[in-house]
Amino acid sequence: MTGMQGMKWLARRETLRVSKLWTQTVLAPVISSLLFILVFGLSLGDRVRNVGTVEYDQFIVPGLIAMAMVQAAFANNASTMFQARSELYINDILSSPMHPWQMTLGFVVGGLYRGLLIGGSLLAAAFVLTGVGLAHPAALALTMVLCLVLFASFGTVVGIHAESWDATTFVANIVILPLAFVGGTFYSVALLPSPWEELSHFNPIFYMVQSMRFGLLGESDVSIWLSLGVTAALAVPAYLWAQWLFTTGRRLKA
Amino acid sequence: MYRDDERCRAPAALVPQRAPALELRGLTKRYDDGTLAVEDFDLQVHDGAFFGLLGPNGAGKTTVISAVCNLIRVTAGEVLVFGEPITSLRARSWIGLAEQDINLDRFLSVRETLIYHGGYFGMRREQAEERAEEMIDAFDLRAKRDVRAPKLSGGQRRRLLLARALMHRPRLVILDEPTAGVDYELRQELWRYIRRLHAEGTTILLTTHYLEEAEALCEEIALIRGGKLLARDSAEGLRERYGATNLAGVYVKAMAEV
Repeated sequence: MTGMQGMKWLARRETLRVSKLWTQTVLAPVISSLLFILVFGLSLGDRVRNVGTVEYDQFIVPGLIAMAMVQAAFANNASTMFQARSELYINDILSSPMHPWQMTLGFVVGGLYRGLLIGGSLLAAAFVLTGVGLAHPAALALTMVLCLVLFASFGTVVGIHAESWDATTFVANIVILPLAFVGGTFYSVALLPSPWEELSHFNPIFYMVQSMRFGLLGESDVSIWLSLGVTAALAVPAYLWAQWLFTTGRRLKA
Repeated sequence: MYRDDERCRAPAALVPQRAPALELRGLTKRYDDGTLAVEDFDLQVHDGAFFGLLGPNGAGKTTVISAVCNLIRVTAGEVLVFGEPITSLRARSWIGLAEQDINLDRFLSVRETLIYHGGYFGMRREQAEERAEEMIDAFDLRAKRDVRAPKLSGGQRRRLLLARALMHRPRLVILDEPTAGVDYELRQELWRYIRRLHAEGTTILLTTHYLEEAEALCEEIALIRGGKLLARDSAEGLRERYGATNLAGVYVKAMAEV
């Protein structure tokens, strides 16, 4: 029971950190995604009427929400881990009577919380601004959780390995952001010429955007099962990787 | 093999029959860069002791402490706390650590620092809140209760670090140079608190560079260098053994022997 109590407090600490820094952790990504919806959707939407049967301002909403959530979950856990390591207050957690799996879960909860706050806020705003629907709520909920577990875990791993702040921002800006932009947020990959269409299927974020789109609009370039399968197939090893680092103490303990 | 060296055994009068508060058996730590910090290191600290660990920088004091607190990957050997291996959660819940570096969570206020630490160590919210208020008063932090750690003075941070270590009522308190860089007044204050804690039955393991601190506080002192235990005894016993008038003399002679 001792370890469970510790895990709850660690999860609470991680959510408290997000809440205390809410202007940076929640408000800023929500505003920047809303600007995308307004600028690209509402202004460009007059020229690009529909993608398939979906209006353009609604078409971009799922991808923008997915982008904002995964970037926030990654950044959250990469920064919380790196800071805890560099300022050594991770020692208070490592020396506590918690199992490694409890530490992993406690940290991942922070990324989930931040991602869900952002996703929820953006969904609410998109309902008002674009009238986007909620076609398959269960698929949407599962997609959000899997995406957030994947990127919060990956952020944890990067935060544990990072030697400097630059390393965490490098992964965010050079890997995640470009993949998110070419993941079919602003267009349907079916419209791309070969080989770009085929190459898009190697981008993991493409599947997350597709399953978000299925959840919200009921439309997707690929099967929902394939999208959920790929996301889960990445989320599970990412989580286990983070768990392995806590279990072995590699990079966490000298 | 230093484990069989009679100089390293606790004097018989100081060893009770209960499980020792801390027992290290053949502890070895080689860091990833190849540095051998401690090798085949044995140590027993009895329940209720006030034990000092003295040695120069790089002697292995912090490595020993880190091994006890699950902060390093031990290369070989065993660490037992009150008879339980350190891998058990029970054993870890009995230890309170105040590290040499001030490693306070920058996002938490004084009160939150204490409450969250209590939570990590298994305390329920009401228990933790009540205990935190006690610690805030005991360490004279009432005026700073809702201030975050980075806004505290050096002395206040040091007091909070000690309060955090004691928050969950540990049976074994490990203080790694608790008075390093603090002024005379605060040092006296911390000494008073540590003495009271020991008088209440808590086992204390203290590392320090201040020899007069070890002499004034510790019932038993171990001298270590290069990851090896050189000698252990009461301050008086060490003075006799080395024919010195004070602990500084003992220290100089012991270190010169290596």
